[in-house]
Amino acid sequence: MSGVFELELGAGVLLVGAAITLALARRVRLAGWIAFASVLAASGATWSLAIRVFAGGRTPEFVLVEVPALGSRFTLAVDPLSAFFLAIAATVAAVATLFSVDYMTHYKGDGVAKFYPILLVFFASIAAVLVTTDLLFFLVFWELMTLTSYVLVTFERERKESQRAGLKYFVITHAATLCMVLAVLLLFRESGSFHFDAVRTALGELLATRPFLAHVVLALFFLGFATKAGVLPMGDWLPDAHPAAPSGMSAALSGVLVKLGIYGLVRVFCSFLPVIPATRTWGIVLALAGTASLFVGTLTALQQTDSKRLMAFHTIGQIGYMCLGLGVAVAALPDLPDLAVIALLGALLHAANHACFKACLFLGAGAVLYRTGERNMDRLGGLAGAMPVTAASSTVASLSIAGVPPLNGFVSKWLIVASCLLYGMQLSLFLILGLIAMFISLATLASFLKVMGAVFLGPPTARTGVREVPPSMAMAQVVLAGLCVLLGLFPLLPLTAIRDAVAGVLSIPVPDLASLVGHGAGLALVVGTGPVAYWAPLVMLAALAALTLLAHGILRAGRAGTRVVDVWTCGEEHAAELVRYPASSFYLPFKHAIEGIYPRIRVRAPAFPSTLRRALAIDTWLYEPFSRLVQRTASMVSATHVGVPQVYLLWIVAGAVAVIGLVLFLAR
Amino acid sequence: MLSILLLLVVLIPAGGAILAGILRGKSSTRVGAFLSAAVALLALGSVGLGYGTTFRQGLAELPWLADTVSSPVFGVLLDPLASLMLIVVTVIGFVTFLFSLRYASDENRDHPVPSTELSRYNFWLLLFLASMVGVAISPNFLQLFVFWELTTICSWALISFYRTPKSLAAGLKALVMTSFGGLFFLGGILVLFVKAGSLEFDALGRLSPKMRAVVFLFLMVAAWAKAAQVPFHTWLPDAMEAPTTVSAYLHAAAMVKAGVFLMARTVAAGLDLSLAPAAVLGAAAVVTMFIALSYYFIQDDLKRLLAYSTIAHLAYVLLGVALGAMGSLTGLRGGALHILCHGFGKATLFFCVGAVAWRTGSRSIQALGGLARPMPLTATAFFVGIATVTGVPPFACFWSKFTLLAGAMKLPGAAGPVLVVLVLVESLISFAWLLHVGQKVFLGERTPAASINSDPPPTMCAALVLLMIGCLVVPAIGLPLVGWIGR
Repeated sequence: MSGVFELELGAGVLLVGAAITLALARRVRLAGWIAFASVLAASGATWSLAIRVFAGGRTPEFVLVEVPALGSRFTLAVDPLSAFFLAIAATVAAVATLFSVDYMTHYKGDGVAKFYPILLVFFASIAAVLVTTDLLFFLVFWELMTLTSYVLVTFERERKESQRAGLKYFVITHAATLCMVLAVLLLFRESGSFHFDAVRTALGELLATRPFLAHVVLALFFLGFATKAGVLPMGDWLPDAHPAAPSGMSAALSGVLVKLGIYGLVRVFCSFLPVIPATRTWGIVLALAGTASLFVGTLTALQQTDSKRLMAFHTIGQIGYMCLGLGVAVAALPDLPDLAVIALLGALLHAANHACFKACLFLGAGAVLYRTGERNMDRLGGLAGAMPVTAASSTVASLSIAGVPPLNGFVSKWLIVASCLLYGMQLSLFLILGLIAMFISLATLASFLKVMGAVFLGPPTARTGVREVPPSMAMAQVVLAGLCVLLGLFPLLPLTAIRDAVAGVLSIPVPDLASLVGHGAGLALVVGTGPVAYWAPLVMLAALAALTLLAHGILRAGRAGTRVVDVWTCGEEHAAELVRYPASSFYLPFKHAIEGIYPRIRVRAPAFPSTLRRALAIDTWLYEPFSRLVQRTASMVSATHVGVPQVYLLWIVAGAVAVIGLVLFLAR
Repeated sequence: MLSILLLLVVLIPAGGAILAGILRGKSSTRVGAFLSAAVALLALGSVGLGYGTTFRQGLAELPWLADTVSSPVFGVLLDPLASLMLIVVTVIGFVTFLFSLRYASDENRDHPVPSTELSRYNFWLLLFLASMVGVAISPNFLQLFVFWELTTICSWALISFYRTPKSLAAGLKALVMTSFGGLFFLGGILVLFVKAGSLEFDALGRLSPKMRAVVFLFLMVAAWAKAAQVPFHTWLPDAMEAPTTVSAYLHAAAMVKAGVFLMARTVAAGLDLSLAPAAVLGAAAVVTMFIALSYYFIQDDLKRLLAYSTIAHLAYVLLGVALGAMGSLTGLRGGALHILCHGFGKATLFFCVGAVAWRTGSRSIQALGGLARPMPLTATAFFVGIATVTGVPPFACFWSKFTLLAGAMKLPGAAGPVLVVLVLVESLISFAWLLHVGQKVFLGERTPAASINSDPPPTMCAALVLLMIGCLVVPAIGLPLVGWIGR
């Protein structure tokens, strides 16, 4: 039995599920439940594998297929880093599929033959990407993942935007994959193998002997993974593609798919890249790219009125945080390894946290879409009363993503920003980056206050018959919101796993968790001689609860009443619809100031030069004239055939004279 | 045993051609489908029997050459390279006949085929199958040449099948251009025969380096003409006047592969020769790739677009062959594998276009739109075809392209990476354009031309499904096979 049999079992279940759902595609709900059952089984298997790896370390390597013609072997091995991302994927996959069961029923007239089977293959390929230790098969499953997600992005195929988004998504990410193909081939040229270990050695040697080529390889990997992760400007596909997919899939895209870009970046820059002074440059590149993403992405999100598009821009922003954390880690590795580890802990924790809250937010937007058919927040409002569960879980997730304590988004952002600022003591550039990251946290909060205010609060719109979503969809959201709270209150749970992941990846010794972030109920950031910052979520929660109770008590004691009245419109009578405060009215001056932050570039295909076109039309200037020449010659020859016997006789006589003349001339 | 099997693979379709020519109407097509199925099974059986080995047997000789050449002139050769070709030729041949059952009928809205014409169609198609198998299992240049010219004649007859002025002109053009190349082939063989006294593939090694280069260049011109490479690329797009089944089989999967097969044979037999003109072959391949690519954007006819894509992909094979001649065995293997992988991918695309045109009567990219709703299976097959042809993993051409590129990386100095970058750029642009075209035709709102209601009938769907499976599984058969090339 191989070391990763749970995973093979899970993949098998997913593929069988894909076949069954394909066969049952006409029965939408049944297919959905079968898909959910197989994803749940696969997730269970994956989680048990992950727990085994966290407890016992890396699994032994197992060879599934060999391709001797290329010197490649499909090897499977799960180290804690893979296990960590597998756990994220398994969780989000199960929840997103559960949500889809009922959600997909609102696509009237569309079968689910191109949804569930593809979705299950998509999940299987994600798992394969995470566990293989061979770069060739890594690329194969990486692109299978892109292919399947392309199909899901273009699910609503009649809509022009979906098509556009799908094309853009596939072409940009395919370009990124081809960059990685080039990088892999350049390393293959050195090492003759695709195995991670061989590649690591090859890169190390290349850095020593031909640093330029080595940095080209690194740049190609960076382009490849950062594009998938949605780091700007390569991530321009993301705000189009993520909203276009059905909401369950949007959650999987933002929750899992972009994280694989982070996974790849961690593998390349923390594991393949040896710790040398030059790594610091790459750390700065990563950090700058991350900061640019979080700054531009979040501020652009602030301007959106389409709920799902807004979430997608926030994905870019949050990926920016992870990338910043990763950048700090890579930059700090050569001289401040402990700080580097803390930054990496923050980045990876943020990946897990983001999976929870962003998936929850996309599901919330999907739930609203399911009941109202509306994504434009200007036309929504006051849904909190009709959809309390959706409103509550979306609120929790919104506060999480904005980094409001004691929810999970706070912890990881705290780690990232703290390590960034601490490294800023060494390199003042990072001070600025850290401050930008803190400011953007505020912008995130503003953006989600807008969402809450415009969608759930305020007077209800004229829409009638809006109810809470069915239990399965509500359940999916509650699970994720619950995870946001849980991870926020007990950050040491995930951090233990992440420390093992980091220790498995980095080539330097990693201290145990207690000496990095302390132990007990909260975190104590230990850098250098002693702890420099504390965070105790439970204490904070207790304080918050006490204050809430106090406030409530004062309210009760003072017998303050509330009086509900209509909005006063200076005496004029307006329909409630007209005097609502819609999403697009939020932060107008501020939005005006940052209008051009996300430039729109029109790409126009260059015209093909007409001279070149004529030169290439080889038929017209070579073959056709030539064939005309042949025809003319032939008709000239055939002109001699007049069909009159006398003329032929004349020819014979003339010929005879010529021959006799020639003979006489030669015999002379 | 194996030689009898291989003889049967040639003789069954040859005899079947006569039978199909005698029979009238539908029964002629049924005979064709049945016999081609038998041929495909026999061919797969013999590939299985000879998997990974080289089987060579002489069968007959020309009496007046018996003293001059060392081994019999006629015979069979089944090695990994021949196996690859045999799979393409027979399996896609069977699929073609399966598809033809309903395609070649008066239900065809693109171009109705009256049942009186069917025996002519099947005669030529079966004769082509026989001659193409002959090309695949030829043990020497002379036999290869004989079958090669047979395929040219079949191609001429099938391009002109509809006998419209346009198709007659296209047929003649193809005949003239490929025969012109054939002359060079003959010239190459004659030089080889005179200088080395042999017609074997490996006789090239016995020539002086100068003569070797001459023969190689002669064969190269022949291959260019047959495989529609620049500057002989103009006949292939015009040949799209043929019935779509013919375009799929002859002008994408099989006949045009004869040219690149010849070069692969030549190089595989003389790997250690360091053939100097290989650089010319490689450079011409890259040029062809980009010239073909430049024509993508001005096509409105789906079939012509696919024809240009075929030209580019034949250039890929020749690039692989050139890499092999420059000493990179991996490159040659990639090129050989591409024969197999591209055959399946491009045939899928052509049959999809055939199915669409059969239903709608249109092949215009502008006029068609939103076909995925009435024809989901065809749409799936089309996208699978695009992914296969442009090399999106896990589909077939990814493996061949990747092998080829891994081989290209073996070139010394900066040449390797530069070549890889060029190929990747071509790959990306053609991927983007084909995906765009696929979306235009199959996704989006339905256009008036697309107001039809269902996928094509079961036999045509079965053909598409078989090809889609092929697109996924052929690398599993092909990769081990190419691994034995050059051992």
